[in-house]
Amino acid sequence: MAVMAAPENTPVWVNTDRCKACDICVDVCPAGVLAMRPDPTSVLGAMISIVALDDCIGCNECELSCPDFAIYVAEKKEYKFAKLTDASKERAQAIAENNYRLPSGF
Amino acid sequence: MAFNYDEYLRTEKMPTLWCWGCGDGVILKSFIRAFDKLGWNKDDTCVVSGIGCSGRFSSYLDFNTVHTTHGRTIAYATGIKLANPDKHVVCVAGDGDALAIGGNHTIHGCRRNIDITLIVIQNFIYGLTNSQTSPTTPRGMWTVTQKAGNIDPTFDGCKLAEAAGASFVGREKVTEPRKLEKLLVQAMEHKGFSYVEALSNCHINLGRKNKMANAMENLDWIDSITVSKKKYDTLSPEEQMNKLPTGILKQDKEADEYCDMYKEIQEVHQGKRGKITQDDFEKKI
Repeated sequence: MAVMAAPENTPVWVNTDRCKACDICVDVCPAGVLAMRPDPTSVLGAMISIVALDDCIGCNECELSCPDFAIYVAEKKEYKFAKLTDASKERAQAIAENNYRLPSGF
Repeated sequence: MAFNYDEYLRTEKMPTLWCWGCGDGVILKSFIRAFDKLGWNKDDTCVVSGIGCSGRFSSYLDFNTVHTTHGRTIAYATGIKLANPDKHVVCVAGDGDALAIGGNHTIHGCRRNIDITLIVIQNFIYGLTNSQTSPTTPRGMWTVTQKAGNIDPTFDGCKLAEAAGASFVGREKVTEPRKLEKLLVQAMEHKGFSYVEALSNCHINLGRKNKMANAMENLDWIDSITVSKKKYDTLSPEEQMNKLPTGILKQDKEADEYCDMYKEIQEVHQGKRGKITQDDFEKKI
């Protein structure tokens, strides 16, 4: 199997050279780990960012749904992922309602 | 550790030329994962693609690849497979490539049941050339060539492949990448012609004038028009009318594969056996 080394103690990481800011990963993340941040150098004016690294549940949805090979998720046997909490769900909802950007107060 | 897609990609061509959120990337990803699961060698595999956004597939994959003329993917792939029967051949075509200009090649590839996997990326529109009506565009949708609304009846590629004689027919969508990966594994493992329709989004050229201008709205619409094959069978004909079934729609493991039959011809010419007669076939007409 084709594998790559993961950065130490990192459940999910992104390659900003490949991200085109389509918002799909933010939409599919159930735990509100990902959000878009403003980026004037990007074509669509936004760039992916990880806003709650420790809350990643390792569902792999973002990696599978990313059309641009820009997101990677660590393997379950190597990293102990968090459980899905109500606070995570609330943040995910707030991000989706705020045009995929992290609203203030989170 | 994480899955390393770059092992199968021409990384110098990244990022892809596709629009943001394009389903082609998800299909490419699912294909790579499926291929990795099968454990095949990329040097033993040929990826053939035609013209259209889907044609970029062969540019990004670090396999033996051929970027062919419009609609002629199956024609090229048939030649490649007959010359190298022990190698794997995968075709990638869009709905315009496989069902419009290349429709003839598709039906005859299906009829011969040659061991090729055809992945049809179905995004309901001619995306590369900016929103012209394709054979699969839903009726009533806005396109550049039918600005008052599309009146053409739509084409069901899976039913066509089934009727034409493909021994494996399946449909899956980009919103279910795990299921798509599984279907691609089964299709590539299958000996005979495998027709896989992958429903994809084109929020740029289909969605912009049809109230689905971002990827999520387009993906939700795809979810709303698909049901699993199991559930589809329980629906009444009225309910089935505007739904597309997903999953394996046909699998026939007994059908004669074309390369095997072609070997017999070679044996005739090598004098190893007598000429092929009607008695060699159970189904003659």
